[in-house]
Amino acid sequence: MEIEHQRCYIYSPAEESDRPAKRQRTGQSSPDAALSKRLQTFRQLWQKQESLVQATLEEADSATQRNIIDFISASKDDALDHRAIPAGLIVAGPSIASHGPFFERLGRRIEKETRSSYLVLTSGESPNLKTLLKNLIKKATSRAENEDEDEESGRPTSTRNGPKILDFDLAHLHDWQEKNQASNIIVAIQDSEAFDAVVLVELIELLYSWSDRIPFILLFGIATSAESFEDRLSAKLPRYLDGQKFDVTQSDEIIERLFAATIAGYDTPLRMGSNLCRRILDRQKDHVQNVQEFSNGLKYAYMSHLYASPPSIFLSEELPFAQVPPSALEAVRIVPSFRRWVELLLKDRKTQEVRDLLDSDEHLFNRTQEHVKAGQKKLNAISDAIRIVSSIRDSLQMSPRVTLASLWIRAANGELIDSPLLRETMLSAKKVSSDKIGRILASLATLSSQGRCPIDMAFYEQGFAQLISNNTDSTPLRTQHDVRNESLRTTVVAQKVLLSKHKAALSEQDRAYSDLVGKFNDELEQYLKQTLIDPREMFLSEILLYDLKSPHTEVFQPKPRFAIERALASPHDYLGCECCGGDAALSATQPPTSILYQLYLESGSLINVSDLWQAFNAIVGGGEEDEEREVHTKALFQRGLAELKHLGMVRSSRKKTDHVAKMMWKGL
Amino acid sequence: MVGTKRKHIDDDEEEHLTPKRLQAQPLQEDESADDVPEIHTPSRRGRNGPVAGNGTPRSILKKTNLFNGINGTTTPKSNRKLVFDTPTKSPDENISNGTPTIVRNADRSARRKSNRRLFERTLNGVDSDDEVLEEDEALAEQILSDDEEFEERTPHKEKAPEAQIPVPETPSKRGRGRPRKAVAKPSTTGRPRGRPRKIREPTPPEVTTLPAHEEYFWQNRPGGNQTSTNTLSSHSLLNHDEYFQAIQSVAENHKSERDFLLELHRRAFDQWIFELGEGFNICLYGYGSKRSLTESFTAHLYEHLAGKAPYKGTRKRPAITVINGYSPGITIKDILSIVASTAIPSSTKMPNQPTSLLQFILEHLTAHPPSHPIPIILNSIDSIHLRKSPTPMMLASLVSHPSINLVCTADTPNFPLLWDVGLSAQYNFLFHDATTFAPYESEIDVVESVNELLGRSGRRIGGRDGIGFVLRSLPENARSLFRILVTEQLGLMFMDGDADEDQDDVTATPRSKSNPARNSSESSQGVEYRVLYHKAVEDFVCSSEVGFRTLLKEFHDHQMVESRKDAMGTERLWVPFRQEELEALAEELSGDAF
Repeated sequence: MEIEHQRCYIYSPAEESDRPAKRQRTGQSSPDAALSKRLQTFRQLWQKQESLVQATLEEADSATQRNIIDFISASKDDALDHRAIPAGLIVAGPSIASHGPFFERLGRRIEKETRSSYLVLTSGESPNLKTLLKNLIKKATSRAENEDEDEESGRPTSTRNGPKILDFDLAHLHDWQEKNQASNIIVAIQDSEAFDAVVLVELIELLYSWSDRIPFILLFGIATSAESFEDRLSAKLPRYLDGQKFDVTQSDEIIERLFAATIAGYDTPLRMGSNLCRRILDRQKDHVQNVQEFSNGLKYAYMSHLYASPPSIFLSEELPFAQVPPSALEAVRIVPSFRRWVELLLKDRKTQEVRDLLDSDEHLFNRTQEHVKAGQKKLNAISDAIRIVSSIRDSLQMSPRVTLASLWIRAANGELIDSPLLRETMLSAKKVSSDKIGRILASLATLSSQGRCPIDMAFYEQGFAQLISNNTDSTPLRTQHDVRNESLRTTVVAQKVLLSKHKAALSEQDRAYSDLVGKFNDELEQYLKQTLIDPREMFLSEILLYDLKSPHTEVFQPKPRFAIERALASPHDYLGCECCGGDAALSATQPPTSILYQLYLESGSLINVSDLWQAFNAIVGGGEEDEEREVHTKALFQRGLAELKHLGMVRSSRKKTDHVAKMMWKGL
Repeated sequence: MVGTKRKHIDDDEEEHLTPKRLQAQPLQEDESADDVPEIHTPSRRGRNGPVAGNGTPRSILKKTNLFNGINGTTTPKSNRKLVFDTPTKSPDENISNGTPTIVRNADRSARRKSNRRLFERTLNGVDSDDEVLEEDEALAEQILSDDEEFEERTPHKEKAPEAQIPVPETPSKRGRGRPRKAVAKPSTTGRPRGRPRKIREPTPPEVTTLPAHEEYFWQNRPGGNQTSTNTLSSHSLLNHDEYFQAIQSVAENHKSERDFLLELHRRAFDQWIFELGEGFNICLYGYGSKRSLTESFTAHLYEHLAGKAPYKGTRKRPAITVINGYSPGITIKDILSIVASTAIPSSTKMPNQPTSLLQFILEHLTAHPPSHPIPIILNSIDSIHLRKSPTPMMLASLVSHPSINLVCTADTPNFPLLWDVGLSAQYNFLFHDATTFAPYESEIDVVESVNELLGRSGRRIGGRDGIGFVLRSLPENARSLFRILVTEQLGLMFMDGDADEDQDDVTATPRSKSNPARNSSESSQGVEYRVLYHKAVEDFVCSSEVGFRTLLKEFHDHQMVESRKDAMGTERLWVPFRQEELEALAEELSGDAF
């Protein structure tokens, strides 16, 4: 049988392999060497990011996992009798896609920290009780086989002196549990909503009836709420269960933390631009809600950048000049920011420098390395600055809550410095009273101690502490900008009412406080102004900031229907041929299926195939009475029709003879 | 006018008071009912109606009439309201009472109405069977008779725009369309003789530039979808031999452009390998068969792997699994077994059940990770053979394992809808547009699928001759059963057809007639299983259902009969031929040609 009609096969190459050709291609290997260097860099960079991602995920889950494990360990001391089965109701949130990984991580940890056996059941493998039990037993016992392989494989099908046990009898599990001394058998129902309620009820009743012999613990993954879960169970069930609720960190919060750790992280060599960030976050919000997808999106951005952009080789931490191919340096000379920089240098009349940059590869190499390092510092500073802004807002409990991600998106665009958001934040910081400034100082001091805030916080902390301790009054100190220091005064002058603002006289202490706050604010503002530059204007921002939407969107959110419709409706877009170019809608030179499709587009929801054939023949066959040609046209027509059917565009219709129903309207 | 109408109805009621009629009438009057202040609950009326009918219908009726005379509107309405719950109306009444609705419609869209009238004049005489059409016609009549002056005004006002509308002249349009008879039969007064065929409203030039959603509504507008009754003659479709002969000698155009497209995709091979290496799976979409593309990618991947660590300099060769998802009868088990054969040493005993096999593979891969992820090339992941649960689920959990790499292709435009969030997260796909414009040579059986599309799968067994061949080899009883089936099916077809044809003659009741006829043609496709069985028993063809089933099975095996459950869940059987062929068949069967 020919391979294309075989169901599956293992590939074996044709006899005459084109290996020499291949070797020839790798012979001219200098771009390949550079590529492998870049890919190596990619792996280094990504490894760091990935470990950050993992750490963040572990941290996000760890509290919940801890609680669940405590719950499990607590329940194992109970003596075995018909007690209510301990049941953990894990409210894992609406993003079903992240349930799987969560239960997997949970399982790993449970098996590590307790002597329990952990079995996950999903709705897909549990259509009814029998299958569910079979799977459950299989999962438990097959793992046992792995552990002690000396034992004869296969489960014992009969007890020593009893009758043969069917393979969905929990007695298997009982035997196994006694043999393995597992302290608990934990059955995790991963997607409880998707289970048939009847199956769940039966399962719980059955497990309850066995609970005097097997120490079960149930865990339910719940996407909605514990209440609606309870509603699905019948009334008598709750007394079989001894439930406790656990809340899992919701995925959007985890995403926020991930964002802070990776894209807006502390020392990130490569950062994502605002368009891409917005795209990744929107996709999270609207479509996937899956932590793994976030990390994949980020990973793909790293991949695209380092795979496709030759200058990105400079992101490598150890880069001897010899390893940089001339092409990469040539590419640096092409990037727009290089041109801007050179123009700047020329303005300063540093012509020699420019000449060196253009002529000497080594000089350019050194300069590029310097600037990459400097640029990374600037970007790090931006990320520090938005942390400061964010922590000020948090300390003042300003609403709406602005996430670090949205601050970064603005900052990466260079918009943050002039944004109303920042102005509002600074104004609030200006009129903060002495009872609240402590929080700001504390949070900034933490950042400062990590080297993330260049302002000398010790000085201000000391100053404010002194002022506050001197304040004997019960009211906190206020600044001159505080509205409570203003009063409205109404005066009647020449029969007109005048409203005037009046500043209350500040006390001595208030004035001192006000001055200090003012000073602090000035310094802060100065710092932000210096730091929050538009990173896209930076020299070599093309290397340090990845912000291309092109491969990202297509690769993660394809529009296959649009692509197919476009290919059929305007084949010229893909083929780029000379014959059917232009806007002429239909021409005989177009691919036959494409002609048929365009005829299809013109018709209503029911299509007469005979008329369709007439029209097709008129175009493709040229309407001539040539028999052989007509047979060809018929073949093409039939093929086109079959392809439209294959693509799901037409369906047979029984309304009228020889009619087909139209199933898709272009562009909808 | 409304007043007279009502009187007319009342008279009607007086004459034949049957509950059915009572029900039928109020429907038309509902709008006038709106302004009647008196409110009756339907339930009460429902109770009243029958009582009145049973007791002394006449007297009650008189009473209502009396009321009517005194009080004007109240009473007739109460009788009428009954109608709301039974939409069935008898055809005759429809006509006499139909006018108010029409009047309302007419007033609402005078412009549309006049437009339509114009078309009627220029092109008409060809009959069609759409109800909307008839409604329009009635409407036109209404206009004609009711306001004469309107008629005079319209031509001047509306002619200019019409003249601008270009008559479609492209060959495509002329060829495909509803061959309209050019006879412009001026139907100036009265009703036209034939029913004017509903003309496609003049396609305004803007149509080509309509936004997509507008175009959808335009093409689905009521009555907008008139098609001709032309049919393909039996030899206008090629059979397998003719098709392959023809398609092989057809010179494919755009050969070089298609090669260029392929070349473009080939340049991405190294990128794809890199992406696979980073733990993603790849899905290729776009128009055209991607089989040759995946084939050359497989070769490339093979070269790539063979030149690397575990294989270089050894006789060991990498194993790349290729799966043709489009091949009929493929199951998840085929896929799992072949993957298992590459991933697991052959000495290991493997479970037989697909679920346990999957589990086994995954556990094995976790315990003994291979030196490189096992590549799987899957053509047409969205083929119907792989869509049924639990196949996608199992496939997803297989390829979500880090030691498995999947490159797959998807043909249909909406394939991402096949997977929910969980599945697509497991698949972890990167999508690439791989439009090739290559014909789907191995994916589609062209001849077969076109036959199926046009309801001619009977051609599969070689047409009538084939059937005759089979029947000759079957016992007498089977032949009789087949004859009964064919006759019954023809009978049903005739009933449909008659209903359709009747409409043309019975000009008085155009709209109501066509409705049931159309319904029946949709629902009565094929003969009901029970009916056929009883007929068979009556004719002593078989004596038990078991025997009946046995006979049918023979037909099914030879694909002479197709069966389907209709909307009501009743099983229906039919012979997959068109009317002419069925007639010929019936003739041969009764003439004992076999």
